[in-house]
Amino acid sequence: MTAVPVAGRPVRARRWPLGAAGRLLRLELRRNAMVWMVPVAAALFWFTAYRKSVASPPLWDLRAMTMQGPALLVFVSPVAGAAAWMGSREGRRRITGLVAGTARPRWTRQLATWAATTCWAVVACLGCVAVLYGVTARQAAWGGPLWWPAAVAAASLPALSAFGFAAGTLVPRRFTAPVIAVAAFFALGISTQPIHGSQSYWQISPVVTGPWDIGPSAGVATFYHYLPDLPIAQVMFLAGLTVAVLGALGLPAGSGGQWLRRSAAALTAAGLLAAGTAVTLAGTGRMDAHGMITIPALHDAAADRPIRYHPVCGHAAIPVCLHPAYAGYLPGVAAALEPVLSQVAGLPGAPARISQAAATYHQGPDNSVSTGMAGPRWSGTPAVFHLVLPGQLPGPTMTTSELAAQVRADAGPPIVAAVIGGGPGASPAQQAVMAALMTAAGVPPSAAPAPGAPQPAAVPLPAPVSAAAQRFAALPPAARHSWLVRHLAALRAGRITLAQLP
Amino acid sequence: MNVEITGLTRRFGRTQAVAGVTLETGPGVFGLLGPNGAGKTSLLRMMATVIAPSSGTLRLLGRDPGSYGPRREIRRRLGYLPQNLGYYPGFTVAEFVEYFALLKEMPAARVAAAVAAAVERAELGGKARAKLRTLSGGMLRRAGIAQAIVNEPELLLLDEPTAGLAQLAQRVRFRALLRELGQRATVVVSTHLVEDVGAACTQVALMDQGRIVFHGTPGGLAACGAGYGTGDAPLERGYSAVLAAARS
Repeated sequence: MTAVPVAGRPVRARRWPLGAAGRLLRLELRRNAMVWMVPVAAALFWFTAYRKSVASPPLWDLRAMTMQGPALLVFVSPVAGAAAWMGSREGRRRITGLVAGTARPRWTRQLATWAATTCWAVVACLGCVAVLYGVTARQAAWGGPLWWPAAVAAASLPALSAFGFAAGTLVPRRFTAPVIAVAAFFALGISTQPIHGSQSYWQISPVVTGPWDIGPSAGVATFYHYLPDLPIAQVMFLAGLTVAVLGALGLPAGSGGQWLRRSAAALTAAGLLAAGTAVTLAGTGRMDAHGMITIPALHDAAADRPIRYHPVCGHAAIPVCLHPAYAGYLPGVAAALEPVLSQVAGLPGAPARISQAAATYHQGPDNSVSTGMAGPRWSGTPAVFHLVLPGQLPGPTMTTSELAAQVRADAGPPIVAAVIGGGPGASPAQQAVMAALMTAAGVPPSAAPAPGAPQPAAVPLPAPVSAAAQRFAALPPAARHSWLVRHLAALRAGRITLAQLP
Repeated sequence: MNVEITGLTRRFGRTQAVAGVTLETGPGVFGLLGPNGAGKTSLLRMMATVIAPSSGTLRLLGRDPGSYGPRREIRRRLGYLPQNLGYYPGFTVAEFVEYFALLKEMPAARVAAAVAAAVERAELGGKARAKLRTLSGGMLRRAGIAQAIVNEPELLLLDEPTAGLAQLAQRVRFRALLRELGQRATVVVSTHLVEDVGAACTQVALMDQGRIVFHGTPGGLAACGAGYGTGDAPLERGYSAVLAAARS
């Protein structure tokens, strides 16, 4: 020890003058446990959320909504655990007595530590989201990033951090952090279990991205705007919780002066009010026809208008046009429909164009959701046939060939039926021609109907009809087509018998 | 007077740690002597505003620490080294001292220079960027002293500051530091090493069983030991004699 005062040589040169709060935050940022958790969280994000999202089709809505829930489940344990570790730091390190004798109020000291923990968590989360969005930007054919799922994910972290920190402060033990990390994971994971149908207070859980019974779907937020109603309520809830928990930290005696504690009480009350209001709002939400949650008090009617877009078209025997977001699937869809369209191209009643339509959703009993198509199957003159692509595009659960088979099976029967006049009251000849064209197009007889289309009769064809169909299908395509050109009017009118079929 | 204490008591359950202490002291180095369990640490913690007294009055730097505003003002001008120094092992020495400078609400513009000066005075200049977990017990004690003096306190409370300072030269220099600090501040040093008191203190109080059984100068304490057989040095004999008299 030296008794001579030393001229002040700064230990570390400061380039920019920082306020005391800034210096305190910088110290906490530098020595924060969350720093060590960032690589862990990033690795977990890559292993679960990133791989899952990137494996799904490159549609902005799908990628963003697929990311939100898994990203949160990835970050919840590291963030809550690190925050609990930091919250318990003073108690674990037996420094409480030393810091209690300092002028800065305990509450502000705690807020600095919490803020540093949260900063690292949010930066890590947003960094992960930025990587995912960057990859999606290079792959997506249309649209732009959805910010609300990222905002909900980012807003969840301060709340998780606040809960963890508060727990660490209350129980400053070595085992608090791991217990909180595990408990937070399970709490978030099971928060969606009580959701029943599309109207549930539990939709406030930040892992919920939309109607729980649909989940992330390619058909949502492409033809219609992404509705931020639920995310707004979720962010409000999370912000309220964060403020309430942080405010509660300032309530105990010794946290600060009377003014500070009153402010903390006011913040706690305001936070609880905001969180409660958000839960109530979420409870009023219900699934709309476009597969998103609308909350009347937060809903902007302008968002219900469909998004204007220029379709991308592929030239098969009949033009096939899709929403530009699905441009990557146009060759596959056009190739899938080509065998069907080539059978009917040029015939009276054949569609002039195949055009993709938006899917509609309807909440059924319990947790079931039925899907349909917005608008009629056929429209306009010349006629346009509207097509809904399967809800699940090629990705982790569907291959390109499976998509092609399903598109052909969905669209083929109604297109052919519309040309030859098939349907429930079809004549035997019409049934035979229908079966023959489907066979020639490679559509299996038990193909599933398109969304919204009537369920075809599962009754096997009578033997004479089946024999005539096989005979007609065996003709060369040109001969079959030329016969149809000459006899289609009679066939549609029901004046052709099985014997008259070549 | 920087410290004015009247009839101060502190209970922990059934244990009376401090039992009616009355004390006044101004600038200078004040030694607080006593055996283990005498109540020195509890008295120091009350003076550091870490715990509140059970009864009695306490005025520090002319203010009543019972109210939040004055207590905060006192804390800005207070330095405290507890007996058991807690620390964050991941912090460097400089960060640890800076942390407390900020908690003591020093003006941000003065923090860097004050930290550097405190670290140098504690003879840790060469270890300023060393993590606390890498320091020896003596170095940690000096880091604790550095954080206590970083705000140039008007009231400095040191609980067993020389524990861990094994080398005689270090202890000698520390006593010189105490004397220098005592020229413009009130330094209260709780210790069980009577030679520290003799070398650095201008006043001394001896506590036993929560009470002050002697209050005077080191010379006065040494005089109490005249003719008393226990102890090597006069001050030590005085210490033993006063304690024996208090307990008889």
